[in-house]
Amino acid sequence: METGQGTAAAHVYSSGRGKQMNCAEFQRDLPLIIDAGGTEQQEEHLRNCEVCRGLVSDLRYIAEQAKLLIPMLEPSPRVWEGIEEKLKREGLVKHVQARRS
Amino acid sequence: MSEAEAIERAKDGDGGCFEALYSLHKRRVYSLCLRMTGNTAEAEDLTQEAFLQLYRKIATFRGESAFSTWLHRLAVNVVLMHLRKKGLPEVSLQETLEPTEEDGPKKDIGSQDQVLAGSIDRVNLERAIESLPPGYRIIFVLHDIEGYEHNEIAEMMGCSIGNSKSQLHKARMKLRDLLKVTRVERAASKR
Repeated sequence: METGQGTAAAHVYSSGRGKQMNCAEFQRDLPLIIDAGGTEQQEEHLRNCEVCRGLVSDLRYIAEQAKLLIPMLEPSPRVWEGIEEKLKREGLVKHVQARRS
Repeated sequence: MSEAEAIERAKDGDGGCFEALYSLHKRRVYSLCLRMTGNTAEAEDLTQEAFLQLYRKIATFRGESAFSTWLHRLAVNVVLMHLRKKGLPEVSLQETLEPTEEDGPKKDIGSQDQVLAGSIDRVNLERAIESLPPGYRIIFVLHDIEGYEHNEIAEMMGCSIGNSKSQLHKARMKLRDLLKVTRVERAASKR
């Protein structure tokens, strides 16, 4: 299996303008690339490097999937019972029973 | 009755209206608490504490932001206060955006046919988030699930914006590793 370091050494691409970027250089700016997009040079590296393309794709996919996690978890009835009890004990609340009856 | 009416009546101490507000917002608050702590009992206690604080503070709600936003921020503060009391590591102030050897893709199995796209389901993602180290998990939940910006997280957590970005990146990298392991295990169990 390839390591990150091995990968970095193995993948060096020319941008066609004489500038080169390897995987280590690309991955140094990864947080910015994921959230805001890359520079021309970084985009060039991405087009040519399957490893970095997979990495960027995965990280963006995780962020997208996380946004879809809806708050569907329901607290147990104990939670409201505890709230009600404490509010009554502190004399803060009125009409809780009235609404139910 | 509208939410606005329920809020106004709850400000006057109407418990029935407060219960209606609880019913409307309990899932979101509880989900936040559970995802941030990774513990059901703690999440229930914190949900309770958040709504108790809501009841005590609701009179100070002036409608400058949406009620849900205001309540949510209150709940985040309750959880963070709890975590600080427990002394859990949040964000190291020494963290920088400079990657370390440890942060890089350790075993890059990122060939095209092995990317995660299309392979994550909600249950596996929730499990992976739960198993993140607390400092990573909190920032991932606040940013990627709850939609807070790095400057807001930095303010809430008392860290720099750079710390928040760095921790988020590490959290996503760790999640990637965890989800790939899960996929390999699932594939192995089918054989």
